[in-house]
Amino acid sequence: MSTNERLFNPAHAFEHPVTCWVTIGLVIALAASPLMIRFLASTGRISDAHRQELWIRWRSWLIMTPLLVGPILLGAAWTILGVGIVSLLCYREYSRATGLFREKAISLTIVLGITLVTFATFDNWYRLFMALTPLTIVMILTVALFADRPQGYIQRTALGVLGFALFGHGLGHLGHLANDDNYRPLILMVLVSAEMNDIFAYLAGRTFGRVALCPHTNPKKTAAGSIGGLILTTALVMFLGQYVFEGTVLAHWYHLLTLGIVISVVGQLGDLIFSSIKRDLGIKDFDVTIPGHGGLLDRFDSIVPIAAVVFHYVNYFVGVGSEQPVRIWTTFV
Amino acid sequence: MDDWNYKPAGDFGLPHEEAFKSLKRESGLFSTALHWLWWSFVRTYLLIWHRLKVEGRENLPKNPPFVLVANHSSHLDALVLAAPLDSRLRDQIFPIAAGDVFFTNPAISAFAALMLNALPMWRKQCGPHALEALKRRLIDEPCCYILFPEGQRSRTGEMLPFKAGLGMMLAGTDVPIVPCYLDGCFEALRPETKWPLRRPITVRVGKPLRFDSVPNKRAGWEQIALDLQTAVKALRPAGNAQSAIATTVSDARGIDS
Repeated sequence: MSTNERLFNPAHAFEHPVTCWVTIGLVIALAASPLMIRFLASTGRISDAHRQELWIRWRSWLIMTPLLVGPILLGAAWTILGVGIVSLLCYREYSRATGLFREKAISLTIVLGITLVTFATFDNWYRLFMALTPLTIVMILTVALFADRPQGYIQRTALGVLGFALFGHGLGHLGHLANDDNYRPLILMVLVSAEMNDIFAYLAGRTFGRVALCPHTNPKKTAAGSIGGLILTTALVMFLGQYVFEGTVLAHWYHLLTLGIVISVVGQLGDLIFSSIKRDLGIKDFDVTIPGHGGLLDRFDSIVPIAAVVFHYVNYFVGVGSEQPVRIWTTFV
Repeated sequence: MDDWNYKPAGDFGLPHEEAFKSLKRESGLFSTALHWLWWSFVRTYLLIWHRLKVEGRENLPKNPPFVLVANHSSHLDALVLAAPLDSRLRDQIFPIAAGDVFFTNPAISAFAALMLNALPMWRKQCGPHALEALKRRLIDEPCCYILFPEGQRSRTGEMLPFKAGLGMMLAGTDVPIVPCYLDGCFEALRPETKWPLRRPITVRVGKPLRFDSVPNKRAGWEQIALDLQTAVKALRPAGNAQSAIATTVSDARGIDS
């Protein structure tokens, strides 16, 4: 596939079977959910309040799913742009919750860092993408000096570095996956397995959950839910992965098993990371932008660490975007 | 060494339309950029189109908290009063605007919050609670308010009596209140005209007044309203065609832009 076709041409959107299955699966899931909710309500298995909440959540998914899948199907450029926008919105939620938004110079540096990460990804300039992390950190530490206010310097800059690490660098890896020829099924697999991991853990926890995993961090998480999520997500990744990585070393069962375990464990850890942040701040949700879910960070918390881990796993064994030209737009520099 | 100090945004957890109306709303990077753009545009426009002049600029306090009060006869007033202030204070300057005019329609509400950085005052339900919230923010943050104690725009260009609600907010505080007189705003944008005419506008800034020793009671509130009304009136140029203002102070509590 040529670079332009990868970036902008949606004609190849459904070439890969996994892309077709995931898209069809999502359409069926969205269409079948109302019937399922009605069935559960009519048989008295869920309360009225629970039914209302499920309707609100379903309506939110109805809007979110096309917003997530649409750019991936349209082309890599839209995917990278979408990830950049999501990174900025996630940083906004984080900075408003921690109070870091009051530090305008640090926030501006992070926004600039995320913008440059997005550009480096669009350019398939991996070295700049990697260099931006230390450079942005140095920049954050530097701009914070100009206020000439040493009280709270460590806290301000540490919050800034954490913010960039999570949403600039961490989430940036999801965008960088779009530089692979085979990016559509790969990213869809990551998103679907991360979200299904949450749902599997929730269902397993509701059915078998007795022992709380870490009650102070998140009282709803149970050991049974965690194990249930691990088994089911690993099975899902092994199934989808054999098609996504067909013809590469990653299609071997032991790689798929490892990747499945990694996605599930890291996803659940991501959940706990953001639960800890929320508990520390004394807030329940990061925002109210997605009815029934909270903020973007409440819904996509697990993807932040998964993106980086999957990227490096794939990059180490088969390379991400290695067949694509590097520095697409900046070779003149 | 200080303790760890996390303080979420004052309007954290509110949906956008509620956040716009919140008296605790705080500016992020995006709204700061919009404020900067908007006020740069307003300042340029006022200088070019209305040849804006500021007399007594040295009376403007350098740092918050402070309150600017003025006569109110056109929609240009808040813009004229905020434009000469130091741009470094842009996020800390809050014009106090009528809730029922600026914060009922979502689009106008977004404009008032994101561009003007206005805070709402609900004229019909403005109780001591809202005034106390405004007072706390003014002193604790600290910040600057622009408000028009007449409680409404004068439709004739004549000054209306100042209302005592302002006194409720300021009695017993050490916040400097700067009386200003806006000259030419009424002629530039009369109530019946849609677009501003090319008329010169002058802002006359008076010496700041403080009301820290005024008791926080009705008599004190009325005294403050009367003192400020007299101070604004004194800034009116001699020979101004506008007739003398009424000297009785209304006991209504509303404050409006």
